[in-house]
Amino acid sequence: MDTFEVLDGGLHSTIQDGGRPGYLATGMPPSGPADRFALGIANVLVGNDPGERYLVGRRPGDAGLEVLLFGLKLEALIETVVAVTGADMAPTLNGAPVPMWQAMRVRAGDVLALGRTMRGARTYLGIAGGIDVPLFGGSRATNVRAFVGGIEGRPLKEGDVLRTFPRRRPLDELEGRRLRPALIPVYRPPWRVRVVLGPQDDLFLEESVTTFLTFDWKLSPTSDRMGYRYVGPKLEFKPRPAYLVDQAGADPSNIVDDTIPVGGIQVPGGVEPIVLHVDGPSLGGYAKIATVISADLGKVGQSRPGETTNFMAVSTDEAVAALKELEASIAEASILGN
Amino acid sequence: MRYDHAVFKPLGDLYLGVEFGDELALRLNFRVIALNTALSANPISGVAETIPTNRSLGIVYDPFTISRGRLEARLREIEEQMGEVEEVPSRHVTIPIWYNDPWSDECAKAHGAPNNLKFLAEINKMTVEEVVKTHSGTDWWVSAVGFTPACYQAMPLGSTRALTAPKYQRPRKWTPERILCIAGQLTSFYPVRSPGGYQLLGRTPIDLYDPLQRNPAFNDGPVLPRVGDRHTYVPIEEATYWEIRRQVEAGTYAYQIREEMFRIPPDRR
Repeated sequence: MDTFEVLDGGLHSTIQDGGRPGYLATGMPPSGPADRFALGIANVLVGNDPGERYLVGRRPGDAGLEVLLFGLKLEALIETVVAVTGADMAPTLNGAPVPMWQAMRVRAGDVLALGRTMRGARTYLGIAGGIDVPLFGGSRATNVRAFVGGIEGRPLKEGDVLRTFPRRRPLDELEGRRLRPALIPVYRPPWRVRVVLGPQDDLFLEESVTTFLTFDWKLSPTSDRMGYRYVGPKLEFKPRPAYLVDQAGADPSNIVDDTIPVGGIQVPGGVEPIVLHVDGPSLGGYAKIATVISADLGKVGQSRPGETTNFMAVSTDEAVAALKELEASIAEASILGN
Repeated sequence: MRYDHAVFKPLGDLYLGVEFGDELALRLNFRVIALNTALSANPISGVAETIPTNRSLGIVYDPFTISRGRLEARLREIEEQMGEVEEVPSRHVTIPIWYNDPWSDECAKAHGAPNNLKFLAEINKMTVEEVVKTHSGTDWWVSAVGFTPACYQAMPLGSTRALTAPKYQRPRKWTPERILCIAGQLTSFYPVRSPGGYQLLGRTPIDLYDPLQRNPAFNDGPVLPRVGDRHTYVPIEEATYWEIRRQVEAGTYAYQIREEMFRIPPDRR
């Protein structure tokens, strides 16, 4: 059914579900939410399926909206329940402020507007039933660079109509549900982003690995769902054998291309480490110093240009434990009833 | 360098890299393809997908289903059972290229770089014509697909003098779609407008990525290139470029693809 009409698409608003794994060998990024927790909770609040885990789950879950920095405005066409999560864009319903992280009822003709976020970068909107757009490769996630998913593979624009599937629970049951206050994230720098060192940390000078793990990196404005660039000191590399200079390229950061995981941090030329994110490439020819752990991808997704990030090394086991904790929190147990 | 045994590389908590060496060599890619084939035939529970690259197989796995240690042990067993790879299925694909096209020139200029063909000629001590002749004079083996959908890397199969090229020190913010490019000794391709650091060679009128899947060549999916394909690049001029482009947009272009087995020369196994 037609549920919302877009009055203003804002800066960059896309339809996202849990993502499109299974196509990395063709270069198709998984996409999905830049902040999995926020989209997951938006879905849970309105009775939707938050999907299984990123990249290795079997279900992408229901689709909602990811809104960058400011400005989405929607008019409700029917009565339903929605939840706004993620960065606080001071949402209003017919001009009156409404709470974040809480399921609320909207009626036909109501105007839901998002303002501008001062903390965090991305806001999510869950709509009861989930957004109904065609599946591409098993997912509804928008990838604007590959022109797939969402509505015609592009961000929302004025005049778009958001259709939804039938809601799974009665509106009365959903209205007023909210996230446990202790679980509401604080989107404030300095961002402490955990990484697992490797696969090519051994190509960097040891003091440069130390610099990477101790410096207050500033997020560059040239950052998006594909990659987040960090401004700071130049990182230096060890000397390389001649055959690699010949085969991989003359810059000391060049390697013979290999797999970039989601969260992989490459450092072209030793300048501006780039965290490759959910729309990022699966293959690359620059040395990767570390990989952001999956549980902390959302922190990267919520950071804003100019904000400080510290990268902290953890073990793979610690990363898996953190992921377990994150996934366990995207569940009914995190919700207070109405 | 080719390792005696595959080396396992940490790639965060959901991926593992299985690396056969750090160099660019067809024999490493054949090992990667062989391991990937063995994994498809005998899947490991918990492995979600695999990503063959030039010299390593990226493995996406569910750490709640299989531990990293157990996954490594199973992969080690499979590696030890893997025999010598003598032949692999390989499609031959012919791709027309307008070398030194105006879009590449404009893109290089916009990023403060010299005409990339002239730059390649200079560093390889050739003329621009020789660069084109050398590049189109050998078949290219697709050894990795990635970066963006349908972006690939290909290694020269022949024994002709290889071209070499440095990457841009700072990747470009954008590159037009359908541009063929080179870095190190690898040919690559920008199927869609995207950032990148390779030197630009020319533009093809044919799509290698089509999310609308308009041509029968895309019946299996929106991405044409596969690891193990062989490419022949045929130089074309402006008029042919536009003629083919019109056919592609009308959905009438006949892609030149042959399904074959490729027997690996003994000295490259």
